[in-house]
Amino acid sequence: MKKFDVIIIGGGHNGLVAACVLSKKGKKVLVIEKNEKLGGLANYAESLSYISKEVIDELNIKIEKNVSENFISALSEDLNHTVLKINDSKNIEFLQTSASNSDQKNFINLINKYNLFARTLRSFMFKRPPRVKSGSRSDIWQLFSMGFKVRRLGKKNMRELLRVIGLNIADDLEDNIESNTLKGLMSNEAVIGTNLGARSPGSILNLLYNQATNNSLFRINKFNTNSFLNIIENICKKNNVEIQTNKTVEKINILNQNVNSVLLNTGEVIETSAIISNTDPKTTYLELVGASNLDTDFIRRTKNYRTKGTVAKVNIEFESEIKIKNLDSSYSSGKFVYAPDIKYIEHAFNDNKYNKLSLNPCLEFYINKNQLSANVYFIPYLINSSHDKEKILSNVKLILEKFIEENQIISSIIETPNDIENKYNIYGGHWSHGDMEIDQLLMMRPFYGSSQYSTPINGLYLCSAGTHPGGGITGINGINAAKQLLKVQGNG
Amino acid sequence: MDNTLSFTKPLLETPFHKRTFEACYNNDWYRWAGYKIAREYSNTELEYTSMRNTAGVLDITPMHKYDIKGKDAIKFVDKLVTRDVTQIKPNQVMYIIWCNEDGNVIDDGTVFCFDKHHLRIFCAERNLNWFSDTAIGFDVEVKDVSDSIAALAFQGPLSCKILHLLNVKNIENLKPFFFDNFNLNGSKVTISRTGFSGDLGYEIWCNPEEAINVWDSLFKFNRDYKILPAGMNALEMVRIEAGFIQPNADFMSAEQALRPNRMRTPFELGMGWLVDLNKNYFTGKRILNDLKKKPLTKKLVGLDIQGDKPAIGSVLYDKNRKEIGIVTAGMWSPSLKSNIAFGYVDNHHMKIGSKVFAEIYHPEELEYKKIWAECLVVKKQFFNPQRRHKVPADI
Repeated sequence: MKKFDVIIIGGGHNGLVAACVLSKKGKKVLVIEKNEKLGGLANYAESLSYISKEVIDELNIKIEKNVSENFISALSEDLNHTVLKINDSKNIEFLQTSASNSDQKNFINLINKYNLFARTLRSFMFKRPPRVKSGSRSDIWQLFSMGFKVRRLGKKNMRELLRVIGLNIADDLEDNIESNTLKGLMSNEAVIGTNLGARSPGSILNLLYNQATNNSLFRINKFNTNSFLNIIENICKKNNVEIQTNKTVEKINILNQNVNSVLLNTGEVIETSAIISNTDPKTTYLELVGASNLDTDFIRRTKNYRTKGTVAKVNIEFESEIKIKNLDSSYSSGKFVYAPDIKYIEHAFNDNKYNKLSLNPCLEFYINKNQLSANVYFIPYLINSSHDKEKILSNVKLILEKFIEENQIISSIIETPNDIENKYNIYGGHWSHGDMEIDQLLMMRPFYGSSQYSTPINGLYLCSAGTHPGGGITGINGINAAKQLLKVQGNG
Repeated sequence: MDNTLSFTKPLLETPFHKRTFEACYNNDWYRWAGYKIAREYSNTELEYTSMRNTAGVLDITPMHKYDIKGKDAIKFVDKLVTRDVTQIKPNQVMYIIWCNEDGNVIDDGTVFCFDKHHLRIFCAERNLNWFSDTAIGFDVEVKDVSDSIAALAFQGPLSCKILHLLNVKNIENLKPFFFDNFNLNGSKVTISRTGFSGDLGYEIWCNPEEAINVWDSLFKFNRDYKILPAGMNALEMVRIEAGFIQPNADFMSAEQALRPNRMRTPFELGMGWLVDLNKNYFTGKRILNDLKKKPLTKKLVGLDIQGDKPAIGSVLYDKNRKEIGIVTAGMWSPSLKSNIAFGYVDNHHMKIGSKVFAEIYHPEELEYKKIWAECLVVKKQFFNPQRRHKVPADI
């Protein structure tokens, strides 16, 4: 029987990054992936806005930037679309819009305000978060330094940050902007992938968090996801990481609160002394570890961890090249957003609350010649039933017909949160393996007792998006988890 | 039943209420889990005396009862409690406590084993929420059956004799912490040799319809053996003598305490003997493992107090008049002729034989008499007669 130093459950990008870090330190690593293709949920994102310095330095990689220009078009029903050109986080210009000049100015000011706050967040976001209730000096110091960084914004800005951090995005937008299109465009970034409407408290925090992760308020096309995945996969191969695909882990065997081995669906048992789980926390604890090895309070928290996915992926192939009505075709390389106003988003969100399919969903899509790839929300995860996919398609079609010049649909693929759950073994099919809300962030991510990538089981670590800093394709979760493992084993 | 004038639901009446109401001369009711239970029928000392000399009958119907049914019933209870219950046999009863993840005691109770797939837990506090959350991942169903079982505690040296006279077959051979089904004067009942009095005694469980017959039967031989219904006050006296502690009186249940430092571990309560760290994983095991190696900072001990004034609510001091703890329950024990109490003391005074001082405020005709009483730290179990353990029991 083969024995590995570390087994990584799930070959998502975080699992692969963790494998890179560990194999570099000379560990014998095995990665087990359920699907044929590595990368997991990262395969859903064509492009990345940002790869952090921490990842580039740690993995010692070079990755080429896309040189193409970034456009974001907010579609409007009167076909008076708004197009933004995004050069970088600080440099955003209006190419065409129906919004007034003062609105444009206020919009840019708002973005700059959020940028400032997001930078503060980022300064402690990519580090290992402190623990609560530990009483350890380094944790207290870390909490103190987080506070200090917020204080360093200055009195006025700190007050503003503390004012808006728990606020809903709609309130702040309505205070500053009049144009519905611009409000919808910004709200889209705040609520997509969450269980928040534009009027839900905490949507600004989510916006800032995304902004800090992506280094940009609007997710833009700066790096190719595939090339990033290829690079880390190659590092793994170079360092002799064994990767087994098309296999799932059924159970983590535990002996006296220490990990002992994993049981695969093929019946194989592989011994190990350390496991990093790249599956979401709920699957890891409730299914792989099992409730009998965990305290009841802990199981309670696991159960209460909110993981209801809300976004469906819709890929449509048209007969001929897609043309947007009343829009220059040079902008079609960018992102299109259909979230016309706050009320519209809020209505779509209302249906989500009651687990209903919203008839008027919000859309965010990219087009590539005759192919369209859209994120549709809110499409709630359903526990005991499934959505009528034809209905989702027809709802999306009704919206697209308003903006796309006549074209015939050849084929379509729809993946609801339920499908994503099945395909990748993610509870609720949630983008970020759990809602990014204030009680599930930082030291509270995924929940008390499981922070800092550790678990109550010795030798078991988490590196999925369910850990700090959460979702998005950062690789930070993988690096921090691997470092935590090395630190505990005494060779970090 | 519809009470339109009151905003709150009136207290429920137990299946024995018809009889307890007649017997409750004082009409003094205590609220227990939404039920009316007599606090004192006529005279607490008299009721206590009957429990210690003949037998006392207590209505314990409000006690919470949870049915655990399913393939993993034993596994579930084993995960829940600190003791190893995997070896429990049918008809056996086990005294159990359960802790939260920080190793703090939530509640204590007893578990009855009907068979491998059916157990029942009895406890004083509501625990359905905790049990249901513990059941996640186990093939069991936890059901609150509190209202469908009527229960009496029948405690005292003559309890076995009276059951024997009532033709309850083979009752004398029922071992302590075992139960069985019996026929009591025409009623099908389950009798367990358990109780809260620290003496020979039984607990009788039956259908609510049988309740009145069971109650009347027990008093059938009252011409010769004067047994009395006993109230909660009398129960409080016997349980202190027996050394039994009560959640939310001697310690705060970890599920209910708001202040983290008010929770208590089994070691602090002197229940370390119930914690088996070699068994399978249970909630709190990890922390209890660490705590076992650390010295205690406080402990609940028994106190033998100078004088005859009960030290209820007293503060405890060391010889330098430094505060070291408080008394949680105290009484003058008529059987032992001594002034006893439970109290928390610090790590310097935990040993049996240590001396501490209690400041007792004794009300005497509208004035407090302040007493500075020397206390001896003793075992909590003050009263433990041989007849309690004897098999066959005295008839």
